[in-house]
Amino acid sequence: MGLGRLCFLNRPMFVAAAVFCAALAQAQTALDLEGRAVSPLAADSSKVVVLVFLRRDCPVSSRYAPEIQQISKQYADRAAFWLVYPDKTETPQAIRKYLQDYGYRLPALRDPDHVLVKLGRAQITPEVAVFDRDRRLVYDGRIDDWYVDLSRARPAPTTHELEDAIRAASSGKPVAKSEVRGVGCYISDLE
Amino acid sequence: MLHLRLGMNSWLRVAGSTVIVLAAFVAVGTLSGSPAARSSAPAQVTFNRDIAPIIFRSCSTCHRPGEAAPFSLLNFSDAKKHARQIVDVTQSRAMPPWLPEPQKLKFADEMRLADSEINLIRQWVEQGAIEGAPADLPPPPKFVEGWRLGQPDLVLTAIKPLTLPPSGTDTYWNFIFPVPIQETRWVKAVEIRPGDKRYVHHANILVDRAGSLRQRESAPGAGFGGMEIRIESQVFDPDSHLLFWKPGTIPYVEPEGMALRLDKGTDLVLNTHLQPSGKPEVIQPSIGLYFTPRAATKVPMLLQLENDAKLDIPAGQKDFLVTDEFTLPIDVELMAIYPHAHYLGRDIQALATLPGGTTETLIHIPHWNLNWQAVYRYLEPVRLPKGTKVSLRYVYDNSEENPLNPNHPPARVMGGNRSSDEMCHLWLQVLPVNFDPAQGDPRMALQEALARHDVEKNPADFEAHYNLAAMLQAKDRLDAAIREYELAVRLRPEDAVANNALGAALVGAGHPEQGVGYLQAALKTRPEYFDARYNLGLALAAQNDFEGAAQQFRLALKLQPDDANVEANLGAALAEMGQFPGAKAHFERALQIDPNQAIAKENLQALQKAMGAH
Repeated sequence: MGLGRLCFLNRPMFVAAAVFCAALAQAQTALDLEGRAVSPLAADSSKVVVLVFLRRDCPVSSRYAPEIQQISKQYADRAAFWLVYPDKTETPQAIRKYLQDYGYRLPALRDPDHVLVKLGRAQITPEVAVFDRDRRLVYDGRIDDWYVDLSRARPAPTTHELEDAIRAASSGKPVAKSEVRGVGCYISDLE
Repeated sequence: MLHLRLGMNSWLRVAGSTVIVLAAFVAVGTLSGSPAARSSAPAQVTFNRDIAPIIFRSCSTCHRPGEAAPFSLLNFSDAKKHARQIVDVTQSRAMPPWLPEPQKLKFADEMRLADSEINLIRQWVEQGAIEGAPADLPPPPKFVEGWRLGQPDLVLTAIKPLTLPPSGTDTYWNFIFPVPIQETRWVKAVEIRPGDKRYVHHANILVDRAGSLRQRESAPGAGFGGMEIRIESQVFDPDSHLLFWKPGTIPYVEPEGMALRLDKGTDLVLNTHLQPSGKPEVIQPSIGLYFTPRAATKVPMLLQLENDAKLDIPAGQKDFLVTDEFTLPIDVELMAIYPHAHYLGRDIQALATLPGGTTETLIHIPHWNLNWQAVYRYLEPVRLPKGTKVSLRYVYDNSEENPLNPNHPPARVMGGNRSSDEMCHLWLQVLPVNFDPAQGDPRMALQEALARHDVEKNPADFEAHYNLAAMLQAKDRLDAAIREYELAVRLRPEDAVANNALGAALVGAGHPEQGVGYLQAALKTRPEYFDARYNLGLALAAQNDFEGAAQQFRLALKLQPDDANVEANLGAALAEMGQFPGAKAHFERALQIDPNQAIAKENLQALQKAMGAH
């Protein structure tokens, strides 16, 4: 973590490149849709933090929208949710439209450098990373077991890893499962 | 004395064969991945040279804007963004979606990748998913925009779109499309545009010649929910075509001599399987019809093997086997096959044992997935001589290990129409061959053999008795038909269709006094039932109750104002009562609707002669 990043100013559009590079240098973290650096883990230490990793072009990600919205509402008093888009080609405009289409009322971040991806050890969209009040990563992986593989979804999930993790972490108890990989689209395909 | 003819046997309105048509859908996952072909593969695999030809041929048809797939696969950067995912789904053979195992009898439009292609994709990604030299890239695939077969002769669009909720379980919805034609037309191709293809898993067109499904709509055009639906047909006119859409379907043009008949008043019913996407989606399908001036000269038929009655699967049972077998009474050519089960179906197989004893696999799907159900057409029609035994062998998994199990924990599951029930169906599209046209429609022999098979298999099967009765009636074996109808009515005493059929058969057999009660029972269940109303009019007239008959015919006309037969028979009843001017008006109206209406023609002449004589 925390590796220094070199910034090569070798573009003809020197000024624009400089600005771009400055934003990157400043970032080393995720950006909100206005392009400001945001550290989701720094916010409100009374709550656990949930990062939800999504791709707009991943149908499994998209189908989870109502479920993610519902869980975030149910645990609003205990957990702060952030949607994280790790695709560096994704524009804030496209993400805004997506949030509106899918009825999301959660803050969204771009993570072009995969800072949060690494922090949350995310591999797939959709996956979540749950951090306790001390900001230790206590769970990373799937939301639940709805999808069995990319072509098969259960009629309804039978396990609820995300909710279990939120409940345990917010009451200071150990999380039973610390990692269960999700089904969906690889984040590493975006590199 | 007037010579009056009232409706006879052939005029009775009877729903001929009740056909339950199904609809369904699903997914697969075999982890195979044999490490063959490695030696023959080029050392450095590149997208442009090695992978693009595979992607363009086998993926881009659906993976492009406006099509079913959730993202495009049209160039290097598209493929790179999903590279590891492509490895996973090709290794598991979840993509391209193609369920049957390779077999001797080949299917058309097979979408299966070769093992060597799957390995090449894996190597490409393992080596870092390199783009390669621009000169190696084949030309991008070209697709026909819009209607694949050009502008259709007639486009039907769903009257009312359906708004699919953002979440919840899969939805099954039926859209009814009245066909605005004034005369019989022949259709050589149908293109289904299911609305937003990303959310429609599959769609099936059912031909409803009697408007029997309209009554399930809350308002005209509203559509109705449900996975499996039943269609009644008027006469012996078994379904003959499998009109099916799934992602990637190329519209099918009927072979020479074949066409689908559409009559005035026919409805096309599109049964769709829809999957929520995460946001509300508006689905408004349309259907394009391509006509041909040539009437069909070859008429195939759909044979159904099934054994739903044997579906009583204990909770937790992993290997529940259901079989059915049927011996062909005539020579046929098998054109297409369509297996159907729901979420517990796992291993699905159909075999043909030829008279000589050889057995051919007709289809074998080792990992059934309702999400990807499909109609499979054979590359060449398969000759199945008389005496061939066609059998199905379906294995169901009702254990906790089946992730698609609708019940958690597993529960006893029976056969039924809901998606949480189970099904064991196999449709075969066959074309009778080597028959003597003088012996009548060869499909009748098939249908009767099938109906007898069903009754033997399951004596408590209402539809089996009903269908056998309808076949016997079509062959004018009225007494035998009446016995089977009686068995059907005994099984379902309130069924309007069966009561009507039994009543009509009794009237036709010269027992109108016995028929009246059944016709009244039909009308009690369904007061708006035109056929029963008309038949009751005939039954009363046959007993010389012309006033009662006229009353029933008038009520029938309220239900279907443009029916020439009813007008003619109403005229006849009035004439019998001496009400000549009224009778004349109705005969004339009948001839206005149908200038060839024989009863009206004959009676009007007799009436004019009689009136002139006064």
